[in-house]
Amino acid sequence: MDIVEVLKHTSPALFLPDLKATDKASALAEIVEGLVAGTSIQNPDTILQMLKSREHLGSTAVGPGIAFPHGRTLAVQRLTILIARSRAGVDFESEDGGPTHLFFVLVAPPQDSGHQYIKSLATLIDRLQDGDLRAKLRDAADYESFCAALKGD
Amino acid sequence: MHPQLQLLVALQDMDQMIRETEESREQLEGLGFKHEGLENLKRAREDLAGQIDPSLGSWYKRLTARFGHAVVPVVGNLCMGCFASIPSSFVSKTNIDKVQKCESCGRLLYWP
Ligand SMILES: [Zn+2]
Repeated sequence: MDIVEVLKHTSPALFLPDLKATDKASALAEIVEGLVAGTSIQNPDTILQMLKSREHLGSTAVGPGIAFPHGRTLAVQRLTILIARSRAGVDFESEDGGPTHLFFVLVAPPQDSGHQYIKSLATLIDRLQDGDLRAKLRDAADYESFCAALKGD
Repeated sequence: MHPQLQLLVALQDMDQMIRETEESREQLEGLGFKHEGLENLKRAREDLAGQIDPSLGSWYKRLTARFGHAVVPVVGNLCMGCFASIPSSFVSKTNIDKVQKCESCGRLLYWP
């Protein structure tokens, strides 16, 4: 799956340019608020619980300064991707102990055709190996320039 | 939403997470994810299951064994498990006294 395909699952309403939260629990709560505000999702508690369960499994902050909270839940009917950023950095219990500045949050329905969700996750993780890109994303002025950088325009 | 249904949905999400982690472990670890908390998650799952009414819990177990998913969404008045139509009188928000079952397949109904 290419990055253009992946970005079809997000939207300007699902872009949080600067999270207020500085710890994991409040960041997840702010992310779920953003998901509800940016979509027609009705059941925030279920999504929050799923994302918290996923963190019990092991932190999703696996890239330098990046986390990929993700999972499947009955509360959504289609793959939905929220992008969040934190200038100050969030203590997301990352592998390297450093603060997390970029969040790509993927929530998928229990069944999705062709495992779109895992493929999207793989595409994003692969793309974000690029350190210059990560720096650009942290500085991007808005959603449009953020996506343009991700696409490599 | 009925509090028991909320728990059942959370339980099903957790069961799927556990199953997917076990099935796709290699692929997910290849992406850099670690799963050192799997046993903790399984314990959290048991705690949650303990809060579910025993008769609903055994219904959930039976349906999961049979269909893979015990709780299914209702979309456009259809049960997304068997596609039988669900009477509009079933709408969850006005029916908070019990967890609704599809009359045709028995799956537990959730209005997303
Ligand atoms: Zn049915």
